[in-house]
Amino acid sequence: MNQSSSNHTSSQEDFLLESSASSHEELQHEDFSLEADPFDDSLDNPLDAEPVQESLLLNTEDCEQPEASAQIDLEGMDKPLHAVSICHDSHPVQTVSFQHANTLLESLEAQDVPVHYQCREGYCGSCRTQLLEGEVHYTEEPMAWINDDEILPCCCIPKTAIRIKLS
Amino acid sequence: MSYTTFNQKTFDTLKQPMFFGETVNVARYDIQKHKIFENLIEKQLSFFWRPEEVDLANDRKDFNDLPDHEQHIFLSNLKYQTLLDSVQGRSPNVAFLPIVSLPELETWIETWSFSETIHSRSYTHIMRNVVPNPAEVFDDITRNDFITRRAVSVTKYYDELIEKCSFYTQLGEGTHTINGKVVDINLRDLKRTLYLTMVSVNVLEAIRFYVSFACSFAFAERAKMEGNAKIIKLIARDEALHLTGTQHILQIMAAGKDDPEMGEIAASCKEEVREIFLDAAEQEKEWAGYLFKDGSMIGLNQQILAQYVEYITDQRIVAIGLPPIFNAKSNPLPWINSWLNSDNVQVAPQEAEISSYLVGALDSAVDTDDFGDFDL
Ligand code: FES
Ligand SMILES: [Fe+2]
Ligand SMILES: [Fe+2]
Repeated sequence: MNQSSSNHTSSQEDFLLESSASSHEELQHEDFSLEADPFDDSLDNPLDAEPVQESLLLNTEDCEQPEASAQIDLEGMDKPLHAVSICHDSHPVQTVSFQHANTLLESLEAQDVPVHYQCREGYCGSCRTQLLEGEVHYTEEPMAWINDDEILPCCCIPKTAIRIKLS
Repeated sequence: MSYTTFNQKTFDTLKQPMFFGETVNVARYDIQKHKIFENLIEKQLSFFWRPEEVDLANDRKDFNDLPDHEQHIFLSNLKYQTLLDSVQGRSPNVAFLPIVSLPELETWIETWSFSETIHSRSYTHIMRNVVPNPAEVFDDITRNDFITRRAVSVTKYYDELIEKCSFYTQLGEGTHTINGKVVDINLRDLKRTLYLTMVSVNVLEAIRFYVSFACSFAFAERAKMEGNAKIIKLIARDEALHLTGTQHILQIMAAGKDDPEMGEIAASCKEEVREIFLDAAEQEKEWAGYLFKDGSMIGLNQQILAQYVEYITDQRIVAIGLPPIFNAKSNPLPWINSWLNSDNVQVAPQEAEISSYLVGALDSAVDTDDFGDFDL
């Protein structure tokens, strides 16, 4: 499975990559601290520090950087580069790019755009996202239910510049 | 319509609706009306696992070291999950197989239900390894008020559908007097009951398990009950697939393409569907209250679990085409996602620990200062 190779970083890599992961984790951490005192009984609380698992299973490296990409580059050919613009309630808020990542989900995560996910294989539907403009190609047959205007970022890559709506 | 185990008629399978058409005959998959069910079967088979392959040797010690209120949380969740999987290991078969009309859907229902029996067996495996007297725990499931109350809301739609369908297959449509009671059996009402049953099953698969999942993973974040968490990860992977299965069934019904009447029924039931989701969410929040009655566990409390239930409920109801109930857009427990992701779950007996858990355990125990010499 191509994903496990890129997701499952060894422990050693993990330590080296910690610094690049920190901004993402800070984001997650903020989510936590918004809640009204969720850890009132925490004395020595590992959850309080950071979601440890995040850094183990996810791409903490920037898979949009060629040297970190798991894809094999074709000699003399540049990979097509597509703009991915992200809207909240149809207002554009951010534009990132897609070039080297294995999936749109990995690309977004590497650029600090959080997307819901669970299975990362197209069968749970957690990453369902509205595609406002453009086209995607599925690298794996999506199994989760999606409406006609929706995509599963965990198993597709853009074919054109795209506009997506994240809640 | 009376049930026959092999329908002798010749008919075009592709023209049948999912339910209440011709009863099935040849179990053939060369032609399929809805290919998704074949895909679900394939995926479920590829997920096959055996509880005994997960080593629970360390969990007994962990369990004994837990304070009383955390033992209560752990055992109560296990009892509740046992109830849910007892229901799911049989009810899809009993309720849906007599009325199904497509071979690929029939086989998906059987495959789905079979995987639930693996979940049930895994609870016995956990109990045997963790508590000195498993019988006490299992016996309490039918005695404990908090659990039996849950059983009612989980099973009432199934039971209603099963009863009505048995009258329908024996007596057909019409007004019948059965044991002195007058019952009116008509197909439209039966379809309505089927639709609502499918919604309640969707809720069971999609919401009811998640409070327990959260607790199991919160234990494992502290490197406690890790064998249990490994089993729960495997269960969660199956449940995500079952959830997708029920979402497809509900969406096909709502689209009305293979049965226009079903589409009308779905459109007219929106309020009841919302109620089913809302009731389940409230019951799960109440359950969180029972779990934490003697104290919260590290990393989780009743309030944050309630927010998680609201978030999950919104995700699930939106997926079947209805508006959200709580407008809970962000996940209050983002760390759960990576536990629910089972990319790297391996069930090899020789590998007692999943590498990620092991590294996770190290990570939390070792201070970063220890790596002062490393170039970061
Ligand atoms: S994460 Fe499961 S479908 Fe995309
Ligand atoms: Fe189950
Ligand atoms: Fe299930």
